[in-house]
Amino acid sequence: MTDTAVKIDRLEKAFGPKKVLRGISMEARAGEIFGLLGPNGAGKTTTLRVICTLLAPDGGSVEVLGFDTRTAPQEVRRRVGVVTAEIGVYPRLTARENIAYFAELSGVADGELGRKVDAVIERLDMRDFATQRAESLSSGQKQKVAIARAIVHDPPVLMFDEPTSNLDVLASREIREFMVESKGRDKCVIFSTHVLHDAERLCDRVTIIHEGRVVAGGPTADVKGRFQDLEDAFLSLVEAAP
Amino acid sequence: MSSILIVFRKEITEILRDRRTLMAIGLAALATPVVLYVISQVSTRTATQTYTVGYSGDMPAGLDILFTSTGLKLEQVSDPAAAAKRQVDIGLAFTAGGVEEYYDPTRQSAQVADIRIQTVLSKYDAAKIAATLQQKGVDPSVLNPLPLTVHPLSSPAQAAQNAFLSFFLPYILITMTLTGGLSAALDTSAGERERKTLESLLLTPAPRSQVLVGKILAVTATSLAAAMVAIISILITLSRISFGGEGRVAQVTLTPLAAAVMVWLAVLLATSFASLTITLGTLARNFRQGQAYVTPLYFITVFPASIVLFIPDFNPSAAYYLIPILNAVLVLRDAIVHDTLSWSSFLVTSASLVATAALSFYVALRLFTREALLVRS
Repeated sequence: MTDTAVKIDRLEKAFGPKKVLRGISMEARAGEIFGLLGPNGAGKTTTLRVICTLLAPDGGSVEVLGFDTRTAPQEVRRRVGVVTAEIGVYPRLTARENIAYFAELSGVADGELGRKVDAVIERLDMRDFATQRAESLSSGQKQKVAIARAIVHDPPVLMFDEPTSNLDVLASREIREFMVESKGRDKCVIFSTHVLHDAERLCDRVTIIHEGRVVAGGPTADVKGRFQDLEDAFLSLVEAAP
Repeated sequence: MSSILIVFRKEITEILRDRRTLMAIGLAALATPVVLYVISQVSTRTATQTYTVGYSGDMPAGLDILFTSTGLKLEQVSDPAAAAKRQVDIGLAFTAGGVEEYYDPTRQSAQVADIRIQTVLSKYDAAKIAATLQQKGVDPSVLNPLPLTVHPLSSPAQAAQNAFLSFFLPYILITMTLTGGLSAALDTSAGERERKTLESLLLTPAPRSQVLVGKILAVTATSLAAAMVAIISILITLSRISFGGEGRVAQVTLTPLAAAVMVWLAVLLATSFASLTITLGTLARNFRQGQAYVTPLYFITVFPASIVLFIPDFNPSAAYYLIPILNAVLVLRDAIVHDTLSWSSFLVTSASLVATAALSFYVALRLFTREALLVRS
């Protein structure tokens, strides 16, 4: 598959005097895991927030499945699901109620609500704790709720922003498996991380950004090039960046 | 289903499972009757309490009976002025020229005893004069050439009851419409940021204005519930206790007009406070900071409005009805005491409160759609 799902063209973003993104361009496609790599503060989270319309670009453009984030933000939001490291859930709602709330706000029709919520609970193996209040769930279980609410409306674009940073080994592996499974369902999966080992194993293509600029991009193997692993390549590229 | 309804339903579900909000409503229902009961007991005790009169000299015959029947206990002392400072509540010195009274106005018991003595002595004087005139064959009515007959247009007891309600109900109404939904307002605004659910919420395609309206409606409903629970609890309590030791339970009635005005003002006040508190909560990074932002709201709004209730016969000009919260107190007071409504004041008050709610909603919406909301978090 080579259908472009997310297209970023010369994107610029500043917070006050601080320029966070300095004209980055990239494309992510359906049916692939696209790695957005970079050190802390490189601009990865800001890029994802612009894609999902939480932030407006100062310059350049972002399109999701042909919809411009500036002119059609609601259409973009309907087509995007975002999972972040911050697994905030509503503690007094059950896991199921949390998922159903976001499904309804995402426009899932009343007639389909129960079926879709049940399906996602089944898919993420959440049956054992679906009726428990979120305040009593473990971090891994809360992360599953966060994933479930992001995908319950079946968005074609899924974005993961450092999704495993607060999780243990088992929960992290489940997230990675879920990303691979989503790729198999022809979703465009954008994976933002600074854990290069994960990126090397999972990503079909990667873009490395540093201080708001793209320093390398392409198929993971090409970016890795002559280096022993992606981490060596990453360090070499970042050190060589102006 | 509309996003407003979805958010409203979710917020209400969370509020009903939140101990803080339920405790606030429960306390309002329980605390007010307790306070009223204590006030009733104190006023009953004051009315039935016997006060000690220290006297010297020869008391006229028959006066002692009047004193005793008025709850004044007589005690002979050598120096009434000295005794009135501590030993007794009030001191009287009967002399050939009349009666010298000694009392300390800073002591409440002395004030009450003074009032009773004035009453007793005026009755005694009137009786004595009438008896003397009759002995001399003169009709005592010559002393009262223009007799006054009073025809109260409403029951004095009911008037006192209305005066009490006109103070208590507006105060409870404005206090509960602010504090009843406070926890819910902060939870739904600052709490979203603190729990880190705000970003996920803003990522949904639901229009932010609808999300905000849903939240404001849920907080408004909570404030209204708290206010109504407190007021119903007051009315029930007032119908079961008596004031002043007369042993009679006053019939507490809120006229249909006063009740309708109260409900309408409660809706407007609750909406205004919900918008204001959610606006302040949106500015806060967490629940605790939200509480710090909201606390001054009480002193800015409820406190000045409550002060007006202590000013008897406060006759406000039309401009006062433009001041939000204060205007609600004034309109409700008129409706309870006089059972009348000045339509111009009522309309100005309603417009002022609607404008307050609308302005607060606009500010909250601007905050809710600003990028800084996320960047700050």
